Amino acid sequence: MNALRSNAAIWRWPAVLAAVTVAGLFSALLGQTGAWLVLSWLLLAVPLMVIAWCWLSRLREL
Amino acid sequence: MTRSALRRWFLVHKWTSLVCTVVLLVLCVTGAPLVFRDELNDLLDDALPYASVPAGTPKLSLDRLVEASRALYPGETIISVFSDPHEPKIIVFMAQSWEQFRANRRAIHSIRFDAHTGQVLKQTKPFNQDGMTFPNLMLQIHRDLFAGLAGELFLAAMALVFVVAIVSGIAVYGPFMRKLDFGTVRADRSRRLKWLDLHNMIGVVTLAWALVVGATGVINELSTPLFALWQQTDVRAMLDTMRRQPTAATSELSSPQAALETVQAKLPDMVATSVVFPGSPFGSPYHYVVWTKGKEPLTSRLFSPVLVDAQSGAFVAVVAMPWYLRALEVSRPLHFGDYGGTPLKVIWLLLDLATILVLGSGLYLWLSRGTSSIVEAADELALSGQAAE
Repeated sequence: MNALRSNAAIWRWPAVLAAVTVAGLFSALLGQTGAWLVLSWLLLAVPLMVIAWCWLSRLREL
Repeated sequence: MTRSALRRWFLVHKWTSLVCTVVLLVLCVTGAPLVFRDELNDLLDDALPYASVPAGTPKLSLDRLVEASRALYPGETIISVFSDPHEPKIIVFMAQSWEQFRANRRAIHSIRFDAHTGQVLKQTKPFNQDGMTFPNLMLQIHRDLFAGLAGELFLAAMALVFVVAIVSGIAVYGPFMRKLDFGTVRADRSRRLKWLDLHNMIGVVTLAWALVVGATGVINELSTPLFALWQQTDVRAMLDTMRRQPTAATSELSSPQAALETVQAKLPDMVATSVVFPGSPFGSPYHYVVWTKGKEPLTSRLFSPVLVDAQSGAFVAVVAMPWYLRALEVSRPLHFGDYGGTPLKVIWLLLDLATILVLGSGLYLWLSRGTSSIVEAADELALSGQAAE
């Protein structure tokens, strides 16, 4: 727990989330129909779910 | 990162955030209802419903609706006609005169027709005399804080400062997380520590979205000067080569419906949506300007004006749009989130609320900083960071 993290460890998840967000934004912009739209909703819901999970899982621990 | 570099990034993050936070909170609060602007406008719309007609009923000629509008308001000038490609509606915009329109761009009123029957569905007062609807009020605050061009430029600067605050936030995030796992929220110690962790977690998770909306916000706020630049360079150069006889009187104008059809026939891959009449400050003294857009998902965001001779009715030219206006056109959907159905709008709203949390918690962290200065905090972090390297 107290070991110091490397840059790779610190940035792994933020980088994945940024890539997922950009993919979601452009999937709706360039696709605009059917499956591309659904894909964009799913991708862009990921950051929201991560926020909810990080926040709520800490509250439950208390 | 060296201790002094981290210190500098901390100061950049602190000051850029302090400069833009209050304005950004106003933008987030007014931006939330704007995501649902179309739905709100539909809800507040008191127009008559469309007549139900058999499938395949053709739309009426624009000429007929232009005549009907002139009969309703004799002596007034037609500014432009909009034909909705998705709904059976045609809207005619009128003003007392071109002089009055040049003096005040909002001194126009509109008549909405049922495109199948020609029935008047709704008429507005001149926009500068009409009471403001809730979505328009939000839009005006969001766009210029009621301060016109000065307000637009001010908000462009604030959005740019916001982008710098995000970038400097990225720079200080790494040292903060040396001893913590991703997404850690220490809710069991102090309230301040909990909100510090939430600020970092929500901030880094929404990073890409906030950067995109912030950067496209800067571009959107520059639309007035960008359009003016285009008109004073490319458009003026084009019109200068066509300078010639005095402009046509209203009675000499060729048919606007024919202008629309000429463009449609010449450019089958485009959809013609509106016709701006000759004399407009946004057009030409000698031509109809027919606005067209593409049919593909992305090209439907890209508009191209086409000139049609307002006397002979002949096709003249497609006006090339410069790269900076193309960038502006692509920036609009990416800023407003209105390009992927209702679920995308809901996501946009929730990400907007998440941004409000980041801004609010940042403000709280600064207000509750107590005796320990942010510089000391940076030093402490720098030490732990150095130990890691």
